[in-house]
Amino acid sequence: MLELLAFQLAAESYALETRWVREVSNFKDLTPLPCCPPFVLGIVNMRGRILPVLDLRKFFDLPEKGITDLHRIVFVGGNGLELGLLADSIVGVRSIPASDLQATLPTLDGIRGDYLKGVTAERLVVLDMARILADPKIIVHEEVEG
Amino acid sequence: MKWNVGMKIGTGFGLSWAMLLIIGSAAYLNIAKLTETADWVDHSHQVLETVEGVMSTMKDAETGQRGYVLTGEEPYLAPFNSAQGSIDAKVKSLRELTKDNPEQQKRIDSLELMITGKLAELSKTIDLRKDSTKGFNAALEEVKSGKGKNVMDDIRKVIDEMKNEETTLLKKRSDEATASARGAMFAIVLGTLFSLGLMTVAGFLITRNISSPLKAITATADRIASGDLSIVVTTDHRGDEVGVLTRTFARMTESLKEMAEAASKIADGDLRANIKPQSSRDVLGSAFARMTENLREQIRQLVEGANVLGSSASEIVASTTQLASSATESAVAVSETTTTVEEVRQTAQAASQKAKAVADSAQKAAQISQSGRKSTEEIAAGTGRIRQQMEAIAASMVRLSEQSQTIGQIVATVEDLAAQSNLLAVNAAIEAAKAGEHGKGFSVVAQEVKSLAEQSRQATNQVRAILGDIQKATGAAVMATEQGSKAVEAGAKQSEAAGVSIQGLASSVTEAAQAAMQIAASSQQQLVGVDQVAGAMENIKQASTQNVASAKQLEVAARNLNELGQRLKKIVEGYKV
Repeated sequence: MLELLAFQLAAESYALETRWVREVSNFKDLTPLPCCPPFVLGIVNMRGRILPVLDLRKFFDLPEKGITDLHRIVFVGGNGLELGLLADSIVGVRSIPASDLQATLPTLDGIRGDYLKGVTAERLVVLDMARILADPKIIVHEEVEG
Repeated sequence: MKWNVGMKIGTGFGLSWAMLLIIGSAAYLNIAKLTETADWVDHSHQVLETVEGVMSTMKDAETGQRGYVLTGEEPYLAPFNSAQGSIDAKVKSLRELTKDNPEQQKRIDSLELMITGKLAELSKTIDLRKDSTKGFNAALEEVKSGKGKNVMDDIRKVIDEMKNEETTLLKKRSDEATASARGAMFAIVLGTLFSLGLMTVAGFLITRNISSPLKAITATADRIASGDLSIVVTTDHRGDEVGVLTRTFARMTESLKEMAEAASKIADGDLRANIKPQSSRDVLGSAFARMTENLREQIRQLVEGANVLGSSASEIVASTTQLASSATESAVAVSETTTTVEEVRQTAQAASQKAKAVADSAQKAAQISQSGRKSTEEIAAGTGRIRQQMEAIAASMVRLSEQSQTIGQIVATVEDLAAQSNLLAVNAAIEAAKAGEHGKGFSVVAQEVKSLAEQSRQATNQVRAILGDIQKATGAAVMATEQGSKAVEAGAKQSEAAGVSIQGLASSVTEAAQAAMQIAASSQQQLVGVDQVAGAMENIKQASTQNVASAKQLEVAARNLNELGQRLKKIVEGYKV
């Protein structure tokens, strides 16, 4: 069984495994950070901890429509790394059998293809958080942090 | 010598006068004598009375002396004393009365002596009696001597003689009086009878002599008065006034006859007669002459007049004929005019009624326009109120809009709450998932919370949708209100304009109503006038009808006049001037 957190991003439905999710939160108190790649929106104060917020749309080359306070932030953590992901809205938590998870669509290539784990029967694109967190591109984080 | 009527009547009256004088004189003389004789009789009676008085006085004196002698008392002397005092006066009056008779005078002389003696004797006796002792006897002796009685007897004798003398005279005088009275009666009776006879004869003669010829003349005058002039007055040659009267009457009758003859000729139409007045003061004659002269002149003028009248009457006949036809034509025209005027009158009546109706309608219209004016004022007021209400609505709308905004904020808050609840539910679900088997129950709770959050979201979405509708509606309402306000503004302006217009209309209608009323009054007056004209035309019609009749009568009269003129001409031609 896979426990998934489904969310909307640029009019598409995405999901990720709940075991990576620390918390979901409103999009607020973002402090933009200069000298960062575009996918880094800024930093937020998460219960005393300063965490970066990434915009997956930059990764996936999705169309942008600006950011409002209706957006949400999904805080994920793993591999000794904690960060926030921007989401349009949170759909909810659901559990699906792992067998139902289909291979990624051939149309999703590139970086998207790299970060995807599969697609559910409900056409939820399940992100592979392990890969994302382990992606070297996020080293920037390290640089930033460093 | 001629005897005229005055002399005759005078002679008759003179005769009567003379007779009356004779009878009167005789009666006067006799009555005068009678009166004188009666006076003498009276005188004799007076003498007799006086003689008796002397005798009585003497007796009184003697009575007083005897009373005193018998009684010796003083009161018995009163008759004596009074007789002694009055006897002289009585003898004196007797002497005065018998002055005309010497015989009686002589007797009075002797009587006076005797009386003196008697009185002396009586005085002596009384003086004797005054001696109270032997007076009575001495007096008695004196009385018994008879001297007193003798004297008294002598006195009585003389008195008787005087009485006899007077009685004789009285008888003689009474006889004379009777004789003269008888003579007077005789003279009156005889003289009266004689004069009656004489005057009857004279009256008869004079009356016959004067009255008969006068009666004849009166009869003649009576016939002349009744117009009969055929009589012939016979004249005799009497020289008195009656003769003159008869002759004058004859002349007058002759003159009247001439006059009558002339008048008769004039009556026959012959005016050539010439009358000469009898004198310069002949009123009738000169009047007659003047009359004939005037008549001649008038007849001449009359002839001319008749000629003129004849021709004029012919012209008048022609004119009246024309006049009659004209009057008939004018009567026809007047009749037509009367009919027309009657029609005009009916038209005027209809017009008057219409005008009255119009006036009433105008009056109503004025009232209506007045009420319209009020209505516009009310509309203006109503519009003002509407505007106020529209403003109030607009304010309400604004408030509504504000409140809907507030609601929107609240909804946003609720939405936010729902979203946070959702997030909370998601976090709870994640935590539950992390808890594994132990988190299953919590996972259900999280699911419920999420469901509630979802419901809240949906509800807020619905509220938002509804709120959006409300806001849209409110916006539309605000717009509508604004438009309504504008419309109301415009309406107010228009109603103001309408008010002004209606006010103008009202004043115009009022003026029109007044005008209509004046028209009604005028048409009423006109109707009255036309009525009067109709009445007048009716009168004219009657008058013209009468005119026609009159013209016809006039024509007939003119014809008659013409005939009259012709007749007059013929008549006048009969006169010989």
